[in-house]
Amino acid sequence: MKTRDQEYRELFMAEALEYYDSMSRHLSELERNPNAGPALNELFRLMHNLKANARAMGFADLGEVAHHLETLFGLIRDQERTFSGALIKVVFAGVDALGNMIRAVGADQALPDATALLDNLDRLVRGEEPILEEAEEAESEEESGKKMELSDLVYIQVKKLDNLLNLVGELVIDRDRIMTLAQEIGNPALLATAQHLFRISDDLQYSVMDARLVGVGVLLNKFPRVVRDVASAEDKEVELILSGQDVQIDRNILQIITDALLHLVRNAVSHGLETTAQRAAAGKPTVGHLTLSALTERDDVLIQVRDDGRGIDTEAVRRKAIERGLTTAAAALDEQAVWALLFEPGFSMASKVTDISGRGVGLDVVKMALDSLGGQLRVESQLGQGTTFTLVLPTSIAVKGALLVEVEERPYAIPLMHTDTVLALQPEQISVVGGMLVTHVQGQAVPLVPLQLLLHDEGDELLPFADKADMTGAQQVLVVNYNNRRLGLLVDRFIRQQNIVIKPLSKPLDTIDLFGGVTLLGSGQVCLVLDVPALTRLFLTKRP
Amino acid sequence: MAETEVPAPIAKTERAKPAELVQLIVFRLGDEDYGIRIEQVKEVTVTPDVARMPKTPPFIKGIANLRGDIIAILDLEERFRLRPAGRPIPERSYIIAVEAADYVLGLMVREVPRPFTMPLSQIEPAPEFVQDSSTRDKYLEGIAKLPEGGVIIVLDMRKLLTPSEVMRLPGKTASS
Repeated sequence: MKTRDQEYRELFMAEALEYYDSMSRHLSELERNPNAGPALNELFRLMHNLKANARAMGFADLGEVAHHLETLFGLIRDQERTFSGALIKVVFAGVDALGNMIRAVGADQALPDATALLDNLDRLVRGEEPILEEAEEAESEEESGKKMELSDLVYIQVKKLDNLLNLVGELVIDRDRIMTLAQEIGNPALLATAQHLFRISDDLQYSVMDARLVGVGVLLNKFPRVVRDVASAEDKEVELILSGQDVQIDRNILQIITDALLHLVRNAVSHGLETTAQRAAAGKPTVGHLTLSALTERDDVLIQVRDDGRGIDTEAVRRKAIERGLTTAAAALDEQAVWALLFEPGFSMASKVTDISGRGVGLDVVKMALDSLGGQLRVESQLGQGTTFTLVLPTSIAVKGALLVEVEERPYAIPLMHTDTVLALQPEQISVVGGMLVTHVQGQAVPLVPLQLLLHDEGDELLPFADKADMTGAQQVLVVNYNNRRLGLLVDRFIRQQNIVIKPLSKPLDTIDLFGGVTLLGSGQVCLVLDVPALTRLFLTKRP
Repeated sequence: MAETEVPAPIAKTERAKPAELVQLIVFRLGDEDYGIRIEQVKEVTVTPDVARMPKTPPFIKGIANLRGDIIAILDLEERFRLRPAGRPIPERSYIIAVEAADYVLGLMVREVPRPFTMPLSQIEPAPEFVQDSSTRDKYLEGIAKLPEGGVIIVLDMRKLLTPSEVMRLPGKTASS
């Protein structure tokens, strides 16, 4: 894998060469028509951008030449200089020098010396005549031998990549089908070809997924400004620390969590971190620390928002939740369960409305974004010490690990992201509590429900009271986990675990939220993908 | 019936000047003949494996894989309550894939649908009193009388296939 430096350098090169080409084009136009306003503005802008990029990359000389040219174009624009005579020669020489310097950067060579040019540019800015050297004539020889080059990078619309990814998804489905058929037919030549196809399409899929990856940094780097604005509006001192900008993730996933992350960051500055006075009183450093970091964990990408602020006041959240009827005092929810309430729609802890937060909208946006991706949210908090929100995201949207289960002779897929454990329970391990089947997993009571009952539940009535009288033999249970709630689904049997490509349900069926989409199995069979968040919500509203 | 003499003169005038023709795909629902304009039909195939989809009205038979597109399969006999008693959809049935605004739906029919060409003028608008009397008639483009007797009920797919119409239960009684 490329290092971040290399990647940045390549991006710089691609942009710089593009700027250089535009500069040459606009310069020629300006020579034909010295009063071409748009060309002049464009040259000024290009110089400015090149200067900024070059300085950010540490190419001081390059930045200096661009800076001088920018100043000169500024003067021409303000009609203090005219684009004529010796000035034209110097400007062309300047742009050529930029081109040479950019190429030197690309070839990893030392930048050519530009002192003479800079002196001339200085003279022009001061309104003096430049000193033109004789050697320039000879240079035009060199000029004609100069290579024309095209950038090594292409820009591509995300839409095109989406399309490519969908096609690969279809290809993989058909590949699996061909593989199954080849195994059934048993012709060795066919089987060998199918296996080859299998490998190629695997590589293809990987390559397309890889082409969609971007560094998390493209999003994280937007936050210093956000944090500064929120902090100054709230009159707080905040130091933002970014890390893991080069962790790779699918561009669309990053797009989907943009708002969620924005909420978490604003929330952390606005609610999480205390004011300078409060921090001083609590004996903490007066400057609050906010860390935005990305890291990879197995196949997932974790993005963490960590503050060293006041932490979540669990009891205050509990009181608020009871006040709002979300829970009862008797429910005796544990810390994690109380924190999960923060992500209920419309739940806000802010007692005053500010510009930035406290409008009762917020954290549920985070939960929804994560649900749509099949991601998870983890919360850790210590009163007085700070809070950490961790977004667990898939690296790619295309392929997900899933467990295939069978209910009434039809397969259903459940994304592994939400599966907890698989159990085979004897009837005596299951008890009936308040009309619900319950078992104990690692000391925790977990409600059980036949999946078939949830799927075929119609109308508004609650689920029938559970009865284990007709239960015989081992019961297959899949424990799923959503927002710290565990639910055991009784299924007929487990089929297998496999990677699936999820296709969204098309209209008009996309209104049924119980299904996250469909996938096609190698057998060509259509398999519905269950949406665990929706399933859990359905159970909560329908439990007897 | 009073209109029995109407088809003949129409057919004659059509021959005199070039008539605008309309091509229909005609299929049977219950004991009635229905037609859809051919430009609204994507393809006709033998019904593939249909996965029953929970949480949908009973006239949605489920979803099927049609050349990589996952489409909903509708049973119009059930939707319009035209199923003759004791005559379930046969084992081997057919799917007419029709194109709605931005998606495709499959209509399940019991017999091979057949193409049929006739002059456009032969389609008469459905009488006003029928129009809103029941769910089926809301989606009628018109009724075509055939010279040899019988009628073809021409459906307007664009009206029938809006997502809210598809998911709507026929009548209010069956819904929760």
